Formats: sequence, structure tokens, C-alpha cells
Amino acid sequence: TELRLSHQWSNKDVRHQVAQIVADEVAAADVDLNIKIFGSKSLFKPREQYKPLSRGQLDMTVFPLSYAGGQQPAYNLTLMPGLVKNHDHAARLSDSPFMDALEAKMAEDDVMVLVHGYLAGGFAGTDKCITSPDDVKGLQTRAAGKSFEQMLAGAGASIASMASSEIYNAMQTGVLQAANTSSSSFVSYRIYEQVKCYTPAGDVALWFMYQPLLMNKSSFEGLNEAQQQALLAGAEKAEAFYLEEAKKQDAASVQVFEEAGVDIAEMSPEDFEAWRKLAMETSYKKFVEEVPGGQDLLDKALAVE
Amino acid sequence: MDPLLLGAIVAIATILVLFSGVSVAIGLLIVSAGFLIIFDGPRSLELMPEILFGKLDNFALLSIPMFIIMGASIASTRAGADLYEALERWLTRVPGGLVVSNLGACALFAAMSGSSPATCAAIGKMGIPEMRKRGYPDGVAAGSIAAGGTLGILIPPSVTMIVYGIATETSIGRLFLAGVIPGLMLVGLFMAWSLYSTWKSGDGGQLSAGSYSWAERFEILPRVLPFLAIILGVLYAMYGGIATPSETAAVGALLCLLIAMIIYKLWQPQALWVVLRDSTKESVMILFIIAAAGVFSYMLSSLFITQSIAEWIGTLDVNRWILMGAVNIFLLIAGFFLPPVAVILMAAPILLPIITTAGFDPIWFAVVLTINMEIGLISPPVGLNLYVINGIAPDISLKTILTGSLPFVGCMVLAIILLCLFPELATWLPDVIMGAAV
Amino acid sequence: MAGHSSAVAARTGNNPFLRAVAAISTLAGWCSATMIVAAVAITCQMIFVRWVLNASTVWQTEAVIYLVISATLIGLPYVQRLRGHVNVDLIPLSLPPRARFALAILTSALSIVIISIMLWYGYEYWHFAWDRGWRSDTVWGVRLWIPYLALPIGFGLLLLQLVADLVAVLTGADKPFGLE
Ligand code: NA
Ligand code: NA
Repeated sequence: TELRLSHQWSNKDVRHQVAQIVADEVAAADVDLNIKIFGSKSLFKPREQYKPLSRGQLDMTVFPLSYAGGQQPAYNLTLMPGLVKNHDHAARLSDSPFMDALEAKMAEDDVMVLVHGYLAGGFAGTDKCITSPDDVKGLQTRAAGKSFEQMLAGAGASIASMASSEIYNAMQTGVLQAANTSSSSFVSYRIYEQVKCYTPAGDVALWFMYQPLLMNKSSFEGLNEAQQQALLAGAEKAEAFYLEEAKKQDAASVQVFEEAGVDIAEMSPEDFEAWRKLAMETSYKKFVEEVPGGQDLLDKALAVE
Repeated sequence: MDPLLLGAIVAIATILVLFSGVSVAIGLLIVSAGFLIIFDGPRSLELMPEILFGKLDNFALLSIPMFIIMGASIASTRAGADLYEALERWLTRVPGGLVVSNLGACALFAAMSGSSPATCAAIGKMGIPEMRKRGYPDGVAAGSIAAGGTLGILIPPSVTMIVYGIATETSIGRLFLAGVIPGLMLVGLFMAWSLYSTWKSGDGGQLSAGSYSWAERFEILPRVLPFLAIILGVLYAMYGGIATPSETAAVGALLCLLIAMIIYKLWQPQALWVVLRDSTKESVMILFIIAAAGVFSYMLSSLFITQSIAEWIGTLDVNRWILMGAVNIFLLIAGFFLPPVAVILMAAPILLPIITTAGFDPIWFAVVLTINMEIGLISPPVGLNLYVINGIAPDISLKTILTGSLPFVGCMVLAIILLCLFPELATWLPDVIMGAAV
Repeated sequence: MAGHSSAVAARTGNNPFLRAVAAISTLAGWCSATMIVAAVAITCQMIFVRWVLNASTVWQTEAVIYLVISATLIGLPYVQRLRGHVNVDLIPLSLPPRARFALAILTSALSIVIISIMLWYGYEYWHFAWDRGWRSDTVWGVRLWIPYLALPIGFGLLLLQLVADLVAVLTGADKPFGLE
């Protein structure tokens, strides 16, 4: 049996490696199962993977779940400012009633999780450091994700929407003064060449995005016992790797920015609280208004220590 | 089946279908559907519309209709004629001056239009009848405009550079800058050839007929100012921090429409509709090919053909210049038959990894590729510029146009060789303005 | 010489069906052109809001993208009517009249089949988004059935124009491939 896995990253990216580990483990198990990886968005565009996955036209994907927030609004909680404090907290969230509730939503679309995982990100400014909400006032800012746009707009930033691939040029020509995205995107789009200051994910970080390895549920159930076991075993191994690598990514991005002569700023716990308070009034509030049962989901997430 | 063998079968099927007279975009959909049904099962057809929609879901594509509107609105006014006349009044003393001023007008116009057929039409409408009236041979008149028009996609803005930038995720701003010097060089080569051939034919004196007083020469200059204003405005918006290149296109389109309406009194709904109709027609045609080529490349990828070809080329151990030569021949042949956008979309995903692995610069390669596409525009059987010339001067035979444009094809080949010898021709300007390559 | 003759529309003769389809396609062309103009206006407004007012621009990018997509899809029948979809008629040109006629029927039929497929699954995709209440994952949160509607409409109208073109060739109102 052959399973098709699609993702948007290069083969050096940690998320490709996660997929590769599962593929290798399954191959090694010798259970007549082969995972064919279509990386670098060679099959589907990043945001267009969820629908084929849910209809069984694609078997597996490594996918930032909030991309499908328009299809299942509950997923917006997987890219919510300040909801996740650090990587260990993220791991606890992945193993909580909150995640069970999300997985129930996924099951509605015939989707299941094989590998849980969060990646963190930070802020970068072309003229100054961004640590507290006051810092973004009046800046043309590009935010990654709807909830972040709502929060940053609440802080008085002007929101400019563009693809992450356009950040570099927009900063270079001065169209954009601040951006918020994942640590790995900051590095892969060489944003360090254009900014003065970088606020990475540190002891506290605002930006965490849930990017699991998903599988079509029916495809999984169509496999025999041995194949399912091989997949789950591979997934377990990959999940441990994912968590370790996720922690290393942030440090690696700091090193790249430092070497490029960019100032590194740190978000203090007070800054974090200020952002979180702002998020409560903006993005959390909006989320609860828009999503049926949203309050319950949010409470479940906030209950995770 | 071995993906490489499958790739060869797909290539043959595509050629057969496309040569049958079906439109290129629909042909690509037919081929894609056929192979998807056979190798991925009938259910894969379900995905075709959403993939097609997804390929169009890209902000940068906006600039295609915008840069086409820029050209079309200017072309529909007397502006093209003014531009052309101004150049002519200043260049009459030169033997063959009329061809030179036509080529100059093409180059200037190319700086306002993203499309080659538009450039060709704008200058040709005035230039071809004028040259013939003054005794230039039909071949020279038609050939120089056909070739000069191709500059539309090399001198920025350029629709094909946008498509390349999207397909390969390279900076469109950088690509635009890379086309400037090679564009000027190509105009120079075209002009040099025209002067030489007029001089050689011996009736240079007769062909420089018509002389203008200095008053007449200065009097026309203000009429060229709007163009310079547009070009500078667009450049300033693009590189001065006002807008991204894709957004700038809209500013350019608006400026051109306004100038056409205010200065050239293009008020009647009828006349405005002609501008919009022509732009819509060309844009929709290009965008549909882009969308269909997206479905085609999904099919190639889903059948693992793209990946296998890239892998296979990677294992080949050939000299990088032999590789580049082969790539050029491939592009040239593809360009004979297919419109530039289709070639770029189908070839870029396969060629780019090969090019970068062999150590070539993707920005430089964009320029080489564009010049190849320019040759395709003036070569049968699908040469968009040839149709335009045919529309302007139906009584000039295709054979005459082709013979007339052949020397210019020679200039383009020479330009490619020069670019291979001196890659800085393409990379220097973007590096200076935008910093060293990313 | 191959296709893409400039602004020469497919002929309709006096056939009422052909004329009706031609009128519908022309109307679609106007809609398409209007959407392109709207995209220009919105983009300029976005630059103004950002650069002059230094304010947020949350909906413009998305609106422009959907306008350009809709302009493309809804413009398809009009461009087909104007014979603006570029083709390579190397083989048709080299064929004698009867074979050329047969090939024209074959390519028309194939085009009609593929566009029917696109129409059918395009409709399904639209309906799926409608049924599930999908929105785009942005602050603006457009109901996706609205932009997706361009798929069934555009391909439906293109199908109509393709059928009309086939009828025109069959009834002799137009020449195969528009070639004399
Ligand atoms: Na141009
Ligand atoms: Na050609």
C-alpha cells in the first residue's frame, strides 16, 4: 500500500524530518506500507491541503492546523497569542482534554493526528525592538495568523496582509516595519538582513503554532493491524524528535540573527502579561463570539498548567 | 511505470493534443485529466477545479492585467504616435533613422507595458505604415517592429518575469531590474543592425528624408513628458517604499488610464471599452493558461515525473555550459510552439533545480529564458507578435515578416551569448540597487 | 498562420441560439472587465490607506485576489467568443477541408467534455464550501462560496460558448478553427 504525504517545506526543515522519520520507520517495519512524501508544496499549496485530506484525496500532511480555521473555527485556538507559554507547556496541551476536544472536531472531517507538535516564533522590527504592546503602535506590521492580527490591531499597529515570502522585499523598500512569524520562516526568508532587532521565542513566547502530522482517518482504518501499529510506533518516535528539535529551532534562529549583527531583545514576563491581557480583550473575545462552544474550548486550553 | 518513461509519454501526448488546434489552456486540462484518470484514478478529477482556483489564488497575479492595462490604455491614444514622432524628429539626420526611432519607441513603450503584443501594436500602428511610406522594404518595417515589440517582456515591467517570480519564488523587484541592462543592450544591437543594413543597402540618404527645424523638435518634447512621468512614478513607487511590485502595477494602470483620459481625451465609453476589452482579452487568456498549467504541473508532480526528472538530471555528469546549451535549445523549441507564459510555467519547476544545482544564478537565468521567449514570439507557428503585425498590415506576407525579423533573432542569440560570457549584465543592477543576492 | 486573430469574433450568422450565446458571453466580458477595474481601484485605495493614512489594510489583498480570479473565470466565455484563447493550428492548417472539419469536431467535443468535468466538480466544490459554511482564515473571513461561485459560473458560460462554437461549425455559420 502506498500513502501520499504532502507538506510545504524543504527537505532540510524539521517538519520534513518528522515526516521522513515516520516514513522510514514504517518502511523498516516491513509491513507492505510505503509513504511517498511530496515536499516543498509540489502537490498542493500550503493552505489547500486540508480539504483533500479530509476527503481522502490525500492521505497525510504536516499542516499548521490554524490554516483550516475557516473550515473549523475551533482550530483558531491553535494559533492564539499567549495561550502557550513554552515548549513543555505545548507538549502538555497536546496531551490534554483540550486536544481531545480538537481531535473530536477533526474526526468530524475524517481527520486524525499522528504526531503532535508546536513550533514557536517571534517578532522583528526594522527600526526598533518589539517587546511590549506599546512598541508596535503606528507600525506597518505583518502578522502570522488572524488572532495575531486582531491583537496587534488592538495594540495600535497597522496591519498589512501579505505572504511571508513578501516580507523581505516589503521591509527592504520600507512598506513594512514589523513582522511576526515562526522562527524558521525568519531564518529561511533571511529576514535578518532587513531588521534591526529580533525578539525570539525565549522563556516566554507569544507565538506558538500547532503543526501536527495529520492523517485521513478512513485511510488509517483501511490499513491492517500491523500497518497501523507500524505507523503509530513511527509517530511516537517522530513526536519525541519534534519536541526536541522545536526547542533547538528558537536558539538556532537567535544565533543566525546574532551573526548577522541584529540586536536580540527579550520579552519580560511583564511584557508577556501585557500582551496576554490585550489578547484577552481582542482575539480571545472575538474567538468566543464567533465560535459556538468557543468559551468551553478556551477554558479547557487555559486549564492546562 | 518508470516516471521518466512516463514523462516522455506525457510530453508526446501534450504535443499531439496542443498541435490539434485546441486552445492551449484547454489542451493542458485535457492532457492532465487523461493522465490523472489513468494513473491516479477517476477520483483525482474531483481536484482539478480547486487546483485551478488555487493557482490563481495569488496576489502577484494581479499585476498581469494591470501591466497590460498600462500598455493598452496608452496604445489606444495618440500617445504612441507622439512618442514615435518625437523620436523621429530628433533622429532624422541619421541614415535609417526611422527604424532607429521605431526601435527606440518600442523600448520606451516596453518600459510602460508588461506585454509584448501590446508593445508591438502600440508602435506598429504608426510605425509600419510610416516606414513603408518612406520607402523602407516591407520586411524591415515589419521585422523591426515585431522584434522591437518583444522588448515588452524584457524591459520592466514584464508579465513573464512576474510569472517566473511566482513559479520560482524569486523576487519580482529583482527580476525587473535584471532585465534593464540586457534590454538596453538588445535595443542597441537591434539599432546597430538596422543602421548597418540601411548603410549597406546604399540608400541611407534617401531614407533619412524629412527634416525638422529645432523649433519643431522642441515643440514635441512636452508631449513625451507624461510617459517619463509614468515610468518614473512607477519606479519610485516600486523601489521607494510605497508599494510592493505587484501593487505598483495598479498605480501604473491608474496613472496610464488617467493620462489617457485627461491628456488624450479618451472620454467616450466606446473608446474606454476598447482599452478594457483588449486588456481583458489578453489578461484572461494568460491567466487561464497559468491556471491550466497549474493543473498540468499538479499532474506531473502527482505522477512523480517532475521529481524524477530533476533527480535524473542531478545524476548526469556533464559540463555546466553544455547543460546550459541544452536548456537553451529546449527553451527555444518550446518557444516556437507555446506562448511564453505556458513555457515558463511548465519548464520552470523542472529547470530551476537543474540550473541552481549547476551553479547558475536564477535571476540571470530568468533573463536568458526571457530572451528565448522573445525569439519564440516572432517565430512560427505560434508567434503572438506575428499575429499583431499581421493585424496591422495584412498585406505583408508572413514570409516577408519572418525574413525581416530573422536578423533580429540573430541579435537575440548574440545577446544570450553575451549574457553567458558576462552574467553581470543581468546581475549587476539588482545587486547595486537591492543589495547582494538573497 | 495560427490562431489568435486579433479581435475577430466567432461568427453567429442569423442563428438565434448563436446570437443569444454571443450576447451572454459579451455580458460576461463586461463583468470581467469591471472586476479588473475594481481590482485596480481597490489596490490603489490600499496603497493610499497604508502609505498616506498609515492605517490597517486587512481586506484589500483578499478582495483583489478574488476579483482577479473571478475576472479570469467569468471572462473565459467572452475570450472564447473573441477567439482570444491562443492555439497552435499546425495540424489543422496542413489538412484538407474534410479532415480539418472532422478534427474541428473532435477538438470541440474534447473541449466540451473537459469543461463539463470542470463545471461539474467546480459546482461540487462550490456546494461543499456553501454546505459547510467555509470562510477564509483571515480577519475579514469571506464566505468562500462567494468567490468559488466563479468556478461553476465561468465554466458553465464557457461550456455554453463552446457548444455554440460547435453548432456554428456544424451549421456552417463559421469555418472550422475559423480558418478560411
Ligand atoms: Na515591459
Ligand atoms: Na513561436
